[in-house]
Amino acid sequence: MPATTENQGSFLGRISIRRNQVMSMDGTHDQEMEDLELFQKHVGDRFSELLSTTTEDSSGDALLSISWLRRLLDELLCIEAEFKAVVLMGRDPSQIAKPPLDKLLPEFLDRFVKSLDLCNAVALGLDAVKNLQRLAEIVVEALEVTPLGDGQVRRAKKALSALIAAMLHEDNANAKGTERNRSFGRRTNNSGSNSKDRVRALSWTMARNWSASKQIHAMMSNLTAPRGAESSGLAQPVYIMSTVLMFVMWAFVAAVPCQERNGLGTHFPLPRQLNWAQPLIGLQEKIAEEWKKKEKKGNVGLLEEMQRMEKLAQSLVEFADSFQFPPETERLDEMKRNVEDLAEICKKMDQGLEPMQQQIREVFHRIVRSRAEFLVVLDQAGKLSAPAV
Amino acid sequence: MENNVNENSSSVPQKEENINTGDTTQLPVLESEDKSDAKSDAKPDAESDAKPEAESDAKPEAESDTKPDAKPEAESDAKPEGEADGKPDGETEKATDSERDTEKEESKEEEEKEKEKNEEEKEETVEAEPESPIPSLEKVLDEIDQFLVTLQQKVDAKESTPLEIPNFIPVFLHLVEQKIVKYDTGETKWGETIEDDSSLLGCANRVSRLMNHFIEYSRSHAVEEQEEGEEKVVRIDFMVNGISVIQQRVMSFLEDEFRTLMEESRNPNKSDSKGKQQADSLESEPFEESILEFPGFAEEAIANLNKIAKEMVASGYENECSQVYALSRRHALEDGMNKILGYEKLSIDEIQRMQWETLEREIPTWINTWKECTSVWFPGERKLVEMVFGNEADIVVGLMGNISRSIVIQLLNFGESIAMTKRAGEKLFKLLDMYETLRDAIPIMETLFPDDIMGEIKTETTSAKCRLGEAAVLIFCDLENSIKSETGRTPVAGGAVHPLTRYIMNYLRLACEYKDTLEEVFKEHSKIERADSTSRPRYETDDSKSKSENRHREDESPFAAQLMRVMELLDSNLEGKAKLYKEVALSCIFMMNNGRYIVQKIKGSAEIYEVMGETWCRKRSTELRTYHKNYQVETWSKILSCLSPKGLSDHGKVQKPVLKERFKGFNAGFEEIHKTQSMWVVSDEQLQSELRVSISALVIPAYRSFLGRFSQYLDPGRQTEKYVKYQPEDIEAYIDDLFDGNAHARR
Repeated sequence: MPATTENQGSFLGRISIRRNQVMSMDGTHDQEMEDLELFQKHVGDRFSELLSTTTEDSSGDALLSISWLRRLLDELLCIEAEFKAVVLMGRDPSQIAKPPLDKLLPEFLDRFVKSLDLCNAVALGLDAVKNLQRLAEIVVEALEVTPLGDGQVRRAKKALSALIAAMLHEDNANAKGTERNRSFGRRTNNSGSNSKDRVRALSWTMARNWSASKQIHAMMSNLTAPRGAESSGLAQPVYIMSTVLMFVMWAFVAAVPCQERNGLGTHFPLPRQLNWAQPLIGLQEKIAEEWKKKEKKGNVGLLEEMQRMEKLAQSLVEFADSFQFPPETERLDEMKRNVEDLAEICKKMDQGLEPMQQQIREVFHRIVRSRAEFLVVLDQAGKLSAPAV
Repeated sequence: MENNVNENSSSVPQKEENINTGDTTQLPVLESEDKSDAKSDAKPDAESDAKPEAESDAKPEAESDTKPDAKPEAESDAKPEGEADGKPDGETEKATDSERDTEKEESKEEEEKEKEKNEEEKEETVEAEPESPIPSLEKVLDEIDQFLVTLQQKVDAKESTPLEIPNFIPVFLHLVEQKIVKYDTGETKWGETIEDDSSLLGCANRVSRLMNHFIEYSRSHAVEEQEEGEEKVVRIDFMVNGISVIQQRVMSFLEDEFRTLMEESRNPNKSDSKGKQQADSLESEPFEESILEFPGFAEEAIANLNKIAKEMVASGYENECSQVYALSRRHALEDGMNKILGYEKLSIDEIQRMQWETLEREIPTWINTWKECTSVWFPGERKLVEMVFGNEADIVVGLMGNISRSIVIQLLNFGESIAMTKRAGEKLFKLLDMYETLRDAIPIMETLFPDDIMGEIKTETTSAKCRLGEAAVLIFCDLENSIKSETGRTPVAGGAVHPLTRYIMNYLRLACEYKDTLEEVFKEHSKIERADSTSRPRYETDDSKSKSENRHREDESPFAAQLMRVMELLDSNLEGKAKLYKEVALSCIFMMNNGRYIVQKIKGSAEIYEVMGETWCRKRSTELRTYHKNYQVETWSKILSCLSPKGLSDHGKVQKPVLKERFKGFNAGFEEIHKTQSMWVVSDEQLQSELRVSISALVIPAYRSFLGRFSQYLDPGRQTEKYVKYQPEDIEAYIDDLFDGNAHARR
């Protein structure tokens, strides 16, 4: 896939050329150390920037907003490209087959595979968000009508209750669903009982018994920071890449509706003593805090737009419940402001979700491709070290 | 109804006088007055505005007046509106200007009544019903239509639309409400009588047109009305409110009906029992059956869905409608893939951990799912969405994309994950099956999906296809490794065909059943290879000669080049193995055996023969002949030298001791050869007989002539017996024992 090589740019080319020179001179590993440090620094810088926009600049991209998440994906792709440049490109396969990499790499590639399922789950989750968006659009469409009558308010209310039910009960949804009710806001429906099946009704499901939280946990297992001499070698970038990938997946699972997130957990170990990990720790704490707040209520995801959508939906429901024709101008104005905000969110979703899905898909393809490249090198290394069986 | 018409007609004179009343029925006056107020500095204009309007107002209404059946009905129709209205109505037919004042009062009363009515509607009660008979719906609909037509004519003529709320509108709304209540309570059921249903849809249509009209009016006249004062604004708003409530109720009902129709139709009893069979016996089930089955909507249901969809879209409830449709279809497909096609979703992680034997069984299901999707399901979906949503191109495209995109990607993920599994020779054929499935699906999907959806689908499908192709290429290239890694030092007993030769040749023969696909895959891959050479090792080439040879072939077919390469590797591997034999003759037999096996396999498969070419085969045969020759020389030249007359005679006299030595030498040599070589193996019958024949042809004539010429020199009796152990016939028989793989004990 040509797309995978596009982003790698000249930096990578330089690294590999330089390394080849170093190799051929059989000099010290100074150059390599420099590359590794540069890589760590870049990772740190990228996440610092992601962290700073959420704190310093209120006009910037809010944490876990669509635009922020899209940046996160971009950074992931860049880091991955750089990672490959550092670890793989122009390197003699035999170096990769040496301990500790001979153990670390297979584990690492296994994490790659696990993240593919997460990519798919997130893409489906974004489908569910699109469906929420469509419900919100009905609300906007109904309440934008002037003069506003009871009919419009009832129409909006119907969509609103479907929207809220879908947003609040998602996590209870399970994949059994033999007698699920796929109507949203059906008039004759008592809203409580079947609500758990509603979000399931909003998107496709993953494989039976698949669980996003289990998958995240599986990615975490055996992930420990390299110690001692290893920490200055290639084990370090492998660890960084694993951590970054896991963090991004974790953030996405928290942000968008995903199949089975029970026990997703808010914390996973990050090395406090390392510089590059600091902004990651900052982000993790923020997201974890949000997650804890919402977890008890049961929520569909921390996606900033969805959170705001939920709040707006709540106040619009209040408006709708107390609506009497003819409406009071004051309440009407307040409602109109809410509807405008909701319309704004819908627009953001309309513009952002589709590209985000494509980005997720790009991550998917990139990971598949990189895994294949690693396997080729491991293959070669295997042949070199054990020529005959 | 009738009274409205009358009042409207009576409004004509009022208009001319530009009198301002608060009367509903006289709103056209307000309208024209509004205009003249707004353009107070342009009075002549305002007048000219007003006049044609009044005329055009009057005309169509007059027409409706003259309708013969309108009148008798009208009298009874008028009653529910109240007697106060009814009586003057009759009189207003001849109303004059002088009666205007009283009428004004009546109208005000009427307005109040209407307000009440609106209130009533809000509470959704049907109080009027017991008191008085309901006017016929058909009649009201006619009037509504007339009203709307008139309005449309004005809009078309760019005349300002008058604000009028004829009394038949509340009556109409009341009637629609009654109708919907009947449906809601289940008194009337959808689908029982077509008349009822289409009447409801007809009402929905009128409701939404009225709604659109009033909202449009309210929008375009908002400013003027503010100037005009609260009262009229409120009146319009109340009207809109009333209509919106009815509209929402009708739409909500239609939405539910739409959903029910969608759900009912996709659960036909048939599909379950049939479907299971189909999953069990994938191939035997005829396809026509499923074409009838899927998507399984009766024509009547589709017609109904279409009618409902049309009204919902026209009423602006498009989102609700398409949402219900999308959800229902998605579930239908998700369930269908599982229940009907037996396709089980598996996570990528899971697939990497599964045993190939288990996984292998999923592949035919996956292939069948694709075939079913491209031949039946997707076309079915497309047809259905087009029939339900008709001309709404945007909705059709949107829904089609919504529904098919996810399915396609999910199916592709399975392909991607299979391509990611650990490479193994036995997977090649399944991978190629999958590759072919995707390759064939792309052009079909291109005819099914609109361009904007197809773009992404095509990229994704192509990518998964390439992954599978790439895996196939790598597996095929792994043959090199399996040859290289076959480094056993134990020679095969008797110089028989090496297991490696058997494995490789049978594998190649199977692979060449996929020759065209492999050619394609190799071509694609070598393109990728060239474009992205950073990470992929090029196939190493040993020496410059084979390099240039390879490059030459690569231009024609990278697959053929790879195949050649495998053959070359096999050859050199076999040559190495041949050296393991101590006897040169046996290595010749070994090479002949293997060479023969290879040539036979190649000639036995037209596909592989085509790739390897005639020249190659001829070259191979020549090589075989060389080995044959070498064998003969190696084995038989020494023994044949015993039979040479050379050196036997000295000045024409046969040297007896030498002759004895010759016979002894021959006998011993032949016995030794017989002993060892009957244990050698030539399993190819033809080769075996060729060898025996050629040996016979070499040995027997020589022996016969030697015997004929020199046996006379031996003393008959004991001496002859001692030295002439074998008659030529015996030699022939012993030769027939050779290459049998058994130790013969003839002696």
